[in-house]
Amino acid sequence: MKPENPFVALLSLLVGLLFLSPVLYSIWMSFQTADDFYAGRVTFTLDNYERAIGQFNFARYLINSLIVSGLVTVLGITVATLAAFAFARFRFPGGDLMFGATVATLMIPSHISLIPNYLTLAKAGLLDTYAGLILPAISNGFACFFLRQYMRGIPKALDEAAYMDGATHLQVLWRIIVPLSRPAISSMALYIFIAEWNNYIWPLVAVGKQDLYTLQIGLARLYRINPGEGLIDWPLVMAASTITILPVLLGFLAVERHLVRGITMGAVK
Amino acid sequence: MSGISLRNIRKAYPGGPTVLHDVSMEFQPGEFIVIVGPSGCGKSTLLRLIAGLERADAGEIKIAGKRANDLPPQDRDIAMIFQNYALYPHMSVRENIAFGLELRGMPKAERNRRAEEVARMLQLEPYLERKPGALSGGQRQRVAMGRAMARNTSTFLMDEPLSNLDNALRVAMRTEIKDLHRQLGATIVYVTHDQTEALSLADRVAVMKDGHLLQFDRPDVIYDRPANRFVAGFLGVPPINFLPTEKLPGCAGLAGSDDLTAGLRPDILAVHTAQPAGPSLAARVVMAEMTGSDLLLHCDTAAGRLTALAPRLALGGGTEQVWISYDLDRALFFDNQSGARVDYVPGDRQIR
Ligand SMILES: Nc1ncnc2c1ncn2[C@@H]1O[C@H](COP(=O)(O)OP(=O)(O)O)[C@@H](O)[C@H]1O
Ligand SMILES: [Mg+2]
Repeated sequence: MKPENPFVALLSLLVGLLFLSPVLYSIWMSFQTADDFYAGRVTFTLDNYERAIGQFNFARYLINSLIVSGLVTVLGITVATLAAFAFARFRFPGGDLMFGATVATLMIPSHISLIPNYLTLAKAGLLDTYAGLILPAISNGFACFFLRQYMRGIPKALDEAAYMDGATHLQVLWRIIVPLSRPAISSMALYIFIAEWNNYIWPLVAVGKQDLYTLQIGLARLYRINPGEGLIDWPLVMAASTITILPVLLGFLAVERHLVRGITMGAVK
Repeated sequence: MSGISLRNIRKAYPGGPTVLHDVSMEFQPGEFIVIVGPSGCGKSTLLRLIAGLERADAGEIKIAGKRANDLPPQDRDIAMIFQNYALYPHMSVRENIAFGLELRGMPKAERNRRAEEVARMLQLEPYLERKPGALSGGQRQRVAMGRAMARNTSTFLMDEPLSNLDNALRVAMRTEIKDLHRQLGATIVYVTHDQTEALSLADRVAVMKDGHLLQFDRPDVIYDRPANRFVAGFLGVPPINFLPTEKLPGCAGLAGSDDLTAGLRPDILAVHTAQPAGPSLAARVVMAEMTGSDLLLHCDTAAGRLTALAPRLALGGGTEQVWISYDLDRALFFDNQSGARVDYVPGDRQIR
């Protein structure tokens, strides 16, 4: 790598700080008491975290969010990978049409499917359940499209070599295609996880029981905690926000090293 | 060990022209078969049909006497070496070699032992834990061979396995493959566009062109009695010379000779610095190529351009003007219309 131009390095640092500043500010704020914050005094307290977790049930919401986002990610990636493998490697009647339909779903705003999904789940009796939160999110047209494109870049000779070695279709997928698609699959997993983590509308619609609230719903409710005083308890909201963004940050750090690595090198001369 | 039989195979890729026209061949168990032909003539397609990676549009493929048209590749007990090796990039050399064994449920200790055994045969032991990306071309090629050998199959298909190697390595690997065939006693179907590989490796050679099988026979027969002009021109280095018979001194008496082309391989030509007795062509040397002990002479003659081989020392300095004589009894003759070889019987100077 070239040595960095010091001016560019300084500029990058400043831009980075600029992006980070609201996050840092809110984390800082989450350690103040409301009174001190509005009075302009600087203190340090864990009180807001205690209240968010104890009084306002955020531990529960965190678990719900982890369950829902985790399962949506695992199931969504599974479905997308299987479908992508089929679209990338097999010609079958209606295949092109089905792939076209999959791509077409990318152009449908999610809000349009909100009511149909609600009615379907209501009929199935799945409102106010984890299944109701998870099922509509596991078919992901974008992930399928993205993985299919990536898999088409893997030389078909590798599949054929595996078939000659005695592999079944699923063994080819699991032993050859999936390991070689790891960068794409990790990216998609992260993308699905974050999208589901931040999903607000669907949990709002599909769930009424407080026990099933996800973090986003819980967070939104916090704004209405102190309506009488006319003031929002910002330090409390910021503590809850910090609880909300932390898992995403950790998740990103966990998969980041898989994201950009090219693995196909050396497969075919 | 199993033989393979192809009967009236026809194949066209979806939306494309026919790539194989009515190809029929029988491979005996344990034979080393080389399929040779110019690029694009359908060699790989034929191999992939035998492997089960493509389906024939018509005809029958039999493996070990049983119809195999509908058998998936996993069930054919055939190993294949791909032109670009197709090694699994995310697996070590050991895992690459043992993958087929693992899929067949062989316990880990046993398949490791087998992988090491194969690696020893191919001098790959130091690289067992490396990924293919960290190997040289020749090493990758050997891993590809090892992967095919690990399973003890009776039939090997090889698609231009040496074409990505440099010349010295290619010659060395050629010998190794021949040795391997002797050791394993397996049926090998080997595809190449290199005529030297074809002649040196094969028990029998199949020459293909544009999806047609032109000739299928022993290498010496292919060389000495090529079925037609294309086969004669494709095999042999330096290449055979084609000259119109009517312009060739000594052929004037041949019946029907104006419809024939004579094929003179360089090895039946003799180069003289003075006009010899008997029929010969006066030739002007256009270019002389050093090949070591010999000179490859490109000459202009009254009958056309000719390539001849002459011992360098015998020629001395006078290489401008030479005479070329030929052994007409060993010349080949081809029909100008069909290109087919016509038998010429020495002595009665008649074309049959
Ligand atoms: N997958 C394919 N789809 C369409 N045409 C193909 C395909 N593979 C090969 N061909 C065509 O079939 C012909 C024979 O190809 P191939 O068997 O690879 O020839 P060779 O191995 O002798 O060079 C070529 O004209 C090639 O373009
Ligand atoms: Mg080929």
